[in-house]
Amino acid sequence: MFKIRKIVAILVGKLIIIMSRIAGNQGSTLPGKLSSRIYPPLLKELSHNTYKDTFIVTGTNGKTTTTNMVAAILKAQGSSYVHNQAGANMVNGITTAFIRQTNLTGTKPFDYALLETDEANVPLLLEVIKPRFILITNFFRDQLDRFGELDHTINLIKGAVKGLDIELVLNADDPLESHFSRETGLRCWYYGFADTEYDSFEGLENREGRHCVMCGQELEYLRFHYAQLGVFNCPQCGNHNPAPDFIGSDLRMTPNITFNIDAMMIESTFQGFYNAYNILAAVSLARLAGIDSPVIQKALAEFQPQAGRMETFNIKEKKVILILVKNPTGLNQSLSMLALDGKTKNLFIALNDNAADGRDISWIWDADVEVIASEADLINKVICSGQRSGDMAVRIKYADIPADKIIIQPSLQEGIDQAINGDSAVSYILCTYTALFTSRKILVKMQKQYPTAAHQASPQGETI
Amino acid sequence: MEKLKIAHMYPDLMNLYGDRGNLICLQKRMQWYGLDCDIKSIYLEDKLDFNQIDMLFMGGGSDREQGLVYNDLIKKADQLMQHINDGLPMLCICGAYQLLGTYYKSHDGQVMEGLGFFPFYTVGKKDRLIGNILLESEFSGHKSTVVGFENHGGRTYFDDQNLQALGTVTKGHGNNGEDKTEGIRFQNLIGTYLHGPLLPKNPLLADFFIQAMTHRNGIELNTVLDDSIENIAHEQVRRKIISA
Repeated sequence: MFKIRKIVAILVGKLIIIMSRIAGNQGSTLPGKLSSRIYPPLLKELSHNTYKDTFIVTGTNGKTTTTNMVAAILKAQGSSYVHNQAGANMVNGITTAFIRQTNLTGTKPFDYALLETDEANVPLLLEVIKPRFILITNFFRDQLDRFGELDHTINLIKGAVKGLDIELVLNADDPLESHFSRETGLRCWYYGFADTEYDSFEGLENREGRHCVMCGQELEYLRFHYAQLGVFNCPQCGNHNPAPDFIGSDLRMTPNITFNIDAMMIESTFQGFYNAYNILAAVSLARLAGIDSPVIQKALAEFQPQAGRMETFNIKEKKVILILVKNPTGLNQSLSMLALDGKTKNLFIALNDNAADGRDISWIWDADVEVIASEADLINKVICSGQRSGDMAVRIKYADIPADKIIIQPSLQEGIDQAINGDSAVSYILCTYTALFTSRKILVKMQKQYPTAAHQASPQGETI
Repeated sequence: MEKLKIAHMYPDLMNLYGDRGNLICLQKRMQWYGLDCDIKSIYLEDKLDFNQIDMLFMGGGSDREQGLVYNDLIKKADQLMQHINDGLPMLCICGAYQLLGTYYKSHDGQVMEGLGFFPFYTVGKKDRLIGNILLESEFSGHKSTVVGFENHGGRTYFDDQNLQALGTVTKGHGNNGEDKTEGIRFQNLIGTYLHGPLLPKNPLLADFFIQAMTHRNGIELNTVLDDSIENIAHEQVRRKIISA
């Protein structure tokens, strides 16, 4: 029985998607919004077209990367799936994803639904969609979270999943996820890392004390893997890491990430401990979905980060990472990430003020650039570049980086040269949108010119 | 170490465009001068003793926020004006600046009362005055350029020609795009439309406030700060504006 209203809703949605694309927009929430008005049960009904599993991926950081990795694995498997785009992770955006991929009568079947959503949207989504698994990447407290919003959100999620037939896939190393099992009574699967050679034993001075979610006491850590993820225990109530079902062992992060999960060896082109977690989470979910190891391994080995999304180059024996920054949040996250790597580094930041970058660059003052100050000893130089190199330099200076570490070099080419040639184990190249293309070209050219010892031959034909 | 206090007025309501950078700038410079500076956030309904603070800062907000702030500030208006007369340093950006005048008339005809501290009024129009702006001004006896970024629908007009502006517009719109004035200046109070934020690239202006605070507390500044980086940034923007 084909419902006319439903068909109209889908048709309207698909038309708006097409029109948005022609107009050059992403068009990710309007189709879902309008179609739902025409036929309110739309998302619920379309979600029933998933014949195997529905996964929801949520958490503070790494949702998009983790979800994209799972999507790559599903694709390698040859499965069909609905997947919502990053930035379209509220209910309307998810509805749009279903509309985009279904047929006009809304009956096309899929193997899987893979839905990324903000933590705050999980309760709303669960009213409409019944997933088999919910994966939580991590809960990181924003520095601006002075009003306990994160705690409130976590409580909302707990309340929303209680009593439902859902299995949770949780980060065993995250103290903020350690109470879900007890408080929801749901079946919980855990992923986490064994001891690694990259672990640290002291918290950063400016890190807030972590408090036990069960009794409020300040936690003790035996070791930190990354940010507040690590081996923790509560001296008061005994709360500690749950035993992981999926253990990442023998983690290596140079030149790229490799580790083992049981007998399966995982290799990836990604960098950084935060990405190691994303990979581990994705693999855990894929294993729970019953996907074979060879498929998982192949998909991850071939999966590449997008241009400028932590894209890595190897130039003159040095790791060089290219990162696009667009707004305070992105800059906060990028700086927090690199401040935690424990390596000596050169930082290159190109700030442009063309229309696509935003002509008003005052957003750099809304970013908490101060996060890098505590690690200033490991920063060799900060090279400020682009059209507003001076503004960037002022921001860095007022973030408490000593003036003798600050270089103002408007030219992208010369600035990147300095960042790579300068003394450091790693170089980070951050840039706003209109500087990305040129910066990337420069790095590609340099990588060709100066291959590392891992490469067979230099362009001139000499063998090493 | 002397502890100086800056009151950050209504940070949850009046907080657009990175203006908190002004506070970061003041606090850091004072630290480099060897002074201790506390920033105290003042919310609606909070008690505020103007004798206990050394400077007030208020950023910009939208019309609705301005209305709420007005209702709160009007209760303290007499005291505040007295302190301003006595030389209390104060920096008011955009919406906060407009609030100091007699009224603000929005583009759809609604009139909002101002605190009436100074004889000027603002008329809002739908098309906004946006862009980089360059001023000529003077601080502590030195002529200086001021660079910033403006973005306002309001056009501010002085009712009294004796009112002193922050500076003369070399390029950009300023108070109203007509009379080449920008902002207002009275004793140690400055009201302006300039974002940027204002102080980091205009170190002379930042020091104008710091010197006002230290002077009123009998503190002498013995250090001279190296403003090379700030001056390079200032020059970069100045050249960009001139050549546009």
